Amino acid sequence: MKLERWWNLILMRLRSVLRRGPVEQELNKELRFHLEEQVEENIAAGMAPDDARYAALRRLGGMDQIKEECRDMRRTNYLENLRQDLQYAFRALRKSPGFAAVILLTLALSIGANSAIFSVIDGVLLKPLPYPEQNRIVRVFFTSRTFPKFPLNPFDFRDLRARSHSFDSFAAFTRADLQLSGTGQPAKLNAFRITARYFRVLGLGPERGREFDEHDEIPGNGRLVILSDRLWRTEFHAATDIVGKSITLDAQPFTVVGVMPPGAEHPGNDYHPLGYGDTVDAWWPFTFEGDPNDRGPHYLEVIGRLKSGLKPGQAQAELNGLLAQIHREHNDQNSDWRLRLISLYQEIVGPSERMLLVLLGAVGVVLLIACVNAANLLLARAAARHRELAVRSALGAPRSRLIQQMLTESLLISLLGGGLGVVVALGGVRALVSLLPADFPRADAIHVNLPVLAFTLLVAVAAGFLFGLAPALQISRTDLQKGLREGGRSSTGSGRHTRVRSVLVVAEVSLACVLLIGAGLMLRSFLNLLRMDRGFRPEHVLTASIPLPEADYKPGEAASRFYDQLVTNLSSIPGVKSAGAGSDLPWTGYDENTGFDIEGKKPPPHEGFHARYHGATPDYFRALGIPLIRGRFFTEADNKAAPRVLIINQAMAARYWPHEDVVGHRITFSHAPKEADWARIVGVVGDVKDKPNSSGAEPAFWMAVLQWGNTRLSIVVRADSDPRRVLAAVRREVSRLDPSLALGDVRLMDQITDANISAPRFAFFLVGLFAVLAIVLAAIGTYGVISYSVSQRTHEFGLRMALGATPWDVRRLVISQGVKLAFTGVALGVFVALVLARVLRSLIYEVSSADPLTFTTVSMLVIFVALLACYLPARRATQADPTVALRAE
Amino acid sequence: MGKPSDLLQGTLDLLILKTISLEPKHGWAIAKRIEQVSNDALQITQGALYPALHRLEQQGWVRAEWRSTETGREAKFYNLTRAGRAQLEKELAQWERLSNAVGLVIRMV
Repeated sequence: MKLERWWNLILMRLRSVLRRGPVEQELNKELRFHLEEQVEENIAAGMAPDDARYAALRRLGGMDQIKEECRDMRRTNYLENLRQDLQYAFRALRKSPGFAAVILLTLALSIGANSAIFSVIDGVLLKPLPYPEQNRIVRVFFTSRTFPKFPLNPFDFRDLRARSHSFDSFAAFTRADLQLSGTGQPAKLNAFRITARYFRVLGLGPERGREFDEHDEIPGNGRLVILSDRLWRTEFHAATDIVGKSITLDAQPFTVVGVMPPGAEHPGNDYHPLGYGDTVDAWWPFTFEGDPNDRGPHYLEVIGRLKSGLKPGQAQAELNGLLAQIHREHNDQNSDWRLRLISLYQEIVGPSERMLLVLLGAVGVVLLIACVNAANLLLARAAARHRELAVRSALGAPRSRLIQQMLTESLLISLLGGGLGVVVALGGVRALVSLLPADFPRADAIHVNLPVLAFTLLVAVAAGFLFGLAPALQISRTDLQKGLREGGRSSTGSGRHTRVRSVLVVAEVSLACVLLIGAGLMLRSFLNLLRMDRGFRPEHVLTASIPLPEADYKPGEAASRFYDQLVTNLSSIPGVKSAGAGSDLPWTGYDENTGFDIEGKKPPPHEGFHARYHGATPDYFRALGIPLIRGRFFTEADNKAAPRVLIINQAMAARYWPHEDVVGHRITFSHAPKEADWARIVGVVGDVKDKPNSSGAEPAFWMAVLQWGNTRLSIVVRADSDPRRVLAAVRREVSRLDPSLALGDVRLMDQITDANISAPRFAFFLVGLFAVLAIVLAAIGTYGVISYSVSQRTHEFGLRMALGATPWDVRRLVISQGVKLAFTGVALGVFVALVLARVLRSLIYEVSSADPLTFTTVSMLVIFVALLACYLPARRATQADPTVALRAE
Repeated sequence: MGKPSDLLQGTLDLLILKTISLEPKHGWAIAKRIEQVSNDALQITQGALYPALHRLEQQGWVRAEWRSTETGREAKFYNLTRAGRAQLEKELAQWERLSNAVGLVIRMV
């Protein structure tokens, strides 16, 4: 019954709005019927027909008033007003298409840009991660003064897991790629070794089979593997009986125990990093090997799901208590390791947060400027309609009605602009996503979706109110008498109008100035990144990783011999200048550290000597273009039989041997070194920064591959021209040595360096784009105000020229008006930028946030643009014909 | 006696609903009926009647349809809906309570 009533109500309202004609007719007919009945009654009572009619009318009361009241009862009056206002607004827009085009286009661009940036923010920052109850998932790190985020060692992890009560599940994982063979082309798989219940932490479960449990963590309990959905489909044809089957990985049989569903997103990791959401092909169990009393190297990344209701701080406190206990038990009182919990969400999106918020701020400023512009244009038009509004007001239109009309108009404009903005956003988002740095987290979650559309609507409505308010208030304050008296002619343009508009121009010039300064700082920082000394030469360099299956290549002798032979063969390819192999490539996030002792030196208390360690073949440095500063590179003679040798970087030399010649000094990794355990430093190479924007290089050293025997090296091939031309030959050489090997991660070194500056480039490009938009809008605004004031002062200029002023005098008058506005705007803008630029500090590189060059250049540019915007109206002012101007009076 | 427009708005609604509760009536007939039954004590301003009728229609208490009168003219007849009948019950009960209360107070004081 309720429903039926509502339905009828809706029908009735709709009828009142849509079928106004018939509804009005019915009202007339109804009242006429009443009148006629009354007339008849009066006549029957003996009145004359005319008297009877008058009496009846009197009895009923004012016809129009009753009708109006009935309409009010239908609650359609405001709709009716709205319809009229809309019609009026549409007509006004159609009548001045130039005005409409400028205002709609600028709004569409700025609203669209806002929506596009917002959809990035929505996808990256606002959407929860695709793990159930993702806010309970935390990453756990070791932390110390020197290493803010460090992996755990296996047995510390195992003890913490056994003792902690803070977690639903607590797991560790570490990158350990595999070679797949036996299914066609050998392939390198992105793989992780994981502990029991790793997927439970993420809230994921296998599609088929099971995940690993503690039993699988015991060495010797069989080689097991869980496949990704992708790998299962591409390499195993989605075989439904895959669980329990044996497949060949690293030349050894592995039993498949599970298959993960599609969308089992990798949470991102730091050690041999794969970004969040990157493809992981397989997971195999982590096994705890060796002596639990040897706390071993740190390479486990830890992730946990907090018990519900528990704060990360509480869990962190508990873990730190447990860690202190564990250290006491192992007599490791000196350790300054603590534990640090960071929510997975923060870990994934944290690094991009600042940049995205800066972009949102920049694009918001553009919208503000567009609003100021729109307000200015509307004000100009409102001034032209001054008289009409005064008349309407005199005829009894209430103020609220006039304000409503103005706001309807501005809302119509902003909503149309918003509609066009959605189109801009659709294109913009696609462009943005294609521009995003390759390692940007969650790029595939960026879409123009419902929240984005809602945001656009909100922005459009807010903008409409914002730029409609000034004209609406101005109009409502219209002085009736003055409006009517001034009529069409005004000698100087009413003072307050001009003042409001000047304030608006100053505001938009200063906003544009702020954006341009921001863009300028980012440009300088970006140029610094391009120009800086990388420490290596990436041009013409091809890289790839070639991990060796340990079943076929025992770490040590066999592995070293393979790589040595391979780089020798690679160097003889025509077109190859030099080829080397090493543990890692610059700027790829490699971070393996070790402590050591220095012959004849004692570390300060509570600190040790430590550095990042790498491995390299003799030509590795030459191929990468890393310069030798002192001593020598490795040679073929630095093999297993020869004394151990090291090459260190300048940072390590400066940290541990300041003011000394370091070549010839020795270090060791053994606590009780025999003579053979000492490694002699034979060379010093130039520093390579961790990342393009890190302030310096970490201390690091390289071991000779022939003496080290690592099985997971990358190759570096420097060609004399485009390195892609030697790729086929490189592949051939690899498969000639061992046909079961796959070349992984084939990349040009240029691509790697490019990927590392793609984030600052992206930010700079967008802020630059917004800044250009801002200055164009500000120029339009200045032009509009100056040319309006010129048109208002035609008469005055004519008079001046009739009295003997030269065109130059008049021009100076106009331009000085504009320059005054521009100077005020720039001064304000510089001040605001000085305050705000601080938020940019983490985004800019080797530029002060108060960089004088940027600030002066931008100020001059803005003033120049403002002059340009004044020039045209100024010229027009001098063309005023004195006789015409005087006659117009 | 105060002008009939002093009638509380709710009271006018109640009178209208009650008047058409027996059979559908047009505006003129409603006005006449109220005057007649109250012995002309309640002379409603006819002008106030129509906005009230339209409001009741908008609220869904009454429904209107065009029909011929006995004299063959087209008139808009108002009919009580089911919701309107429920509303009438409610308002009647309220009125009873109110007038009883007022009566009590008047007699006691």
